[in-house]
Amino acid sequence: MPTTFFGWVAFLIARYGDLFLRGAGVTMLIAGVGTVAGFAIELGVAIVRTARLSAGAGPLRRGALAAAKAMLSVYIEVFRGTPMIVQAMVVYYGALEYLGLDIPAMAAAFLVVSVNTGAYMAEIVRGGILSVDAGQKEAATAVGMTHWQAMTAVILPQAVRNIMPSVGNEFVVNIKDSSVLNVISVTELYFMSKSAAGTYWKYFEVFFITSVVYFVLTFTVTRLLRLVERRLSGGDSYTVYGSQSHTPAEIKVPLAP
Amino acid sequence: MEEMIRIERLEKRFGNNPPVLRGIDLAFQQGEAACIIGPSGSGKSTLLRCINLLERPSAGRVLYRGQDVALLPPQVLHARVGMVFQQFNLFENMSALNNCVAGQRKALGRSRHDSEQKALYYLEQVGMLPYRDARPRQLSGGQKQRVAIARALCMDPDVLLFDEPTSALDPEMVDEVLRVMADLRQRGLTMLIVTHEMAFARDAADRVIFMDEGLVVEDGPPGQLFTAPQNARTAAFLARSLRG
Ligand SMILES: Nc1ncnc2c1ncn2[C@@H]1O[C@H](COP(=O)(O)OP(=O)(O)OP(=O)(O)O)[C@@H](O)[C@H]1O
Ligand SMILES: [Mg+2]
Repeated sequence: MPTTFFGWVAFLIARYGDLFLRGAGVTMLIAGVGTVAGFAIELGVAIVRTARLSAGAGPLRRGALAAAKAMLSVYIEVFRGTPMIVQAMVVYYGALEYLGLDIPAMAAAFLVVSVNTGAYMAEIVRGGILSVDAGQKEAATAVGMTHWQAMTAVILPQAVRNIMPSVGNEFVVNIKDSSVLNVISVTELYFMSKSAAGTYWKYFEVFFITSVVYFVLTFTVTRLLRLVERRLSGGDSYTVYGSQSHTPAEIKVPLAP
Repeated sequence: MEEMIRIERLEKRFGNNPPVLRGIDLAFQQGEAACIIGPSGSGKSTLLRCINLLERPSAGRVLYRGQDVALLPPQVLHARVGMVFQQFNLFENMSALNNCVAGQRKALGRSRHDSEQKALYYLEQVGMLPYRDARPRQLSGGQKQRVAIARALCMDPDVLLFDEPTSALDPEMVDEVLRVMADLRQRGLTMLIVTHEMAFARDAADRVIFMDEGLVVEDGPPGQLFTAPQNARTAAFLARSLRG
């Protein structure tokens, strides 16, 4: 048996390295799927919440839209107002004990993180939409686009670009916060670490390794997202065409930021 | 000559504020170019916005070729009655070309090829063909407004509403936009133009309408309205704006 701190660290890595790696993989999978799905949920929510019916819409459609908006508000308030660790317990054991559904822990994990992320991103997406000048929505209406068309073709692409940093931030938060899913035995990084630590009673050494792994994950993701953001902000020059024959003239006009 | 737009007893109020439009009756014939002038807050923009239903009238109605606009499918109304905004409102996430293509594709269901042909044609008409790949933020105000006009024309409208199309432009860019608009007049398009450009109203319009406090105060050919206004309020407004 090792006698020093670093001796133990080396020993535990050799012994449980693949456990840490698998745990890290599951963590990344949950955080990735949860962020992307949560983001998709929230974009859909945003389209409904910003919808306004045209003058001719009947009472049925008005009522349906109002009901949908009310339900979405409840969803957002409830999931923002309760801890994710509690949501995981309620979803997992609720399904098991009341619906008779023994859903896999992973499925519960995807569900909880996605829905939770969706609720947290509500305000972010709202802010992103407000950052796009309202005149563009009017112009889209004025060329005959429907609300859905205007949102998907004009408003959301700009809103998404503006909120990309916040989405990346949410991803990082999810990498860390998915650790609470150990309560429903999801085999993510924290759960794996706890198992490894228990065998030799080496909690400090194991969780030292764990924190290094978490940090490497979040740090890498942060850097990668910064690259993606730069991509999304688009090219930095455009070509002025010299004639109608589609020949690009040599003039490349650089973009003032 | 066909009547394109008829406005009947149109009223508009926002919430419990005093009404902004207090009973407007107007009719516009095909090919007419009418300038609407009047002091700030007199309801000019609101009038235009009620015509294409960006605002819902509180009372009265608007007819497009005899049909109540509130009963037309929005896509049809918006294709036939286009609008050009003071702030251009180009789609910032699209090139000049795609600004002109998007509405045709989405609202009219035209093929990409047909939409692009039409877009290129109108971009050329407004002198913006060389900039078809530029993003709005790369264009000057005058260039943006010309793209916005091309975007509206691509929908094959027969009525175009202009809400102060040159007010946000630097003086040296005003003429390039006014020239495009004067061109359009030759094509039989019906144009309703809210403007502070008195010289343009005098030289390029068939008809000038003076609005004040939500009412049409005076309505006549520019020659008459500018040289011999019938109403004291018109005269006072003209005196102020022609001096300034
Ligand atoms: N959405 C709105 N809500 C409340 N009041 C409004 C709204 N839009 C316009 N108004 C009010 O209606 C009145 C007329 O506005 P409108 O924009 O039609 O005037 P205008 O003649 O176009 O003026 P300007 O020359 O300054 O553009 C103003 O007092 C304005 O404050
Ligand atoms: Mg106005």
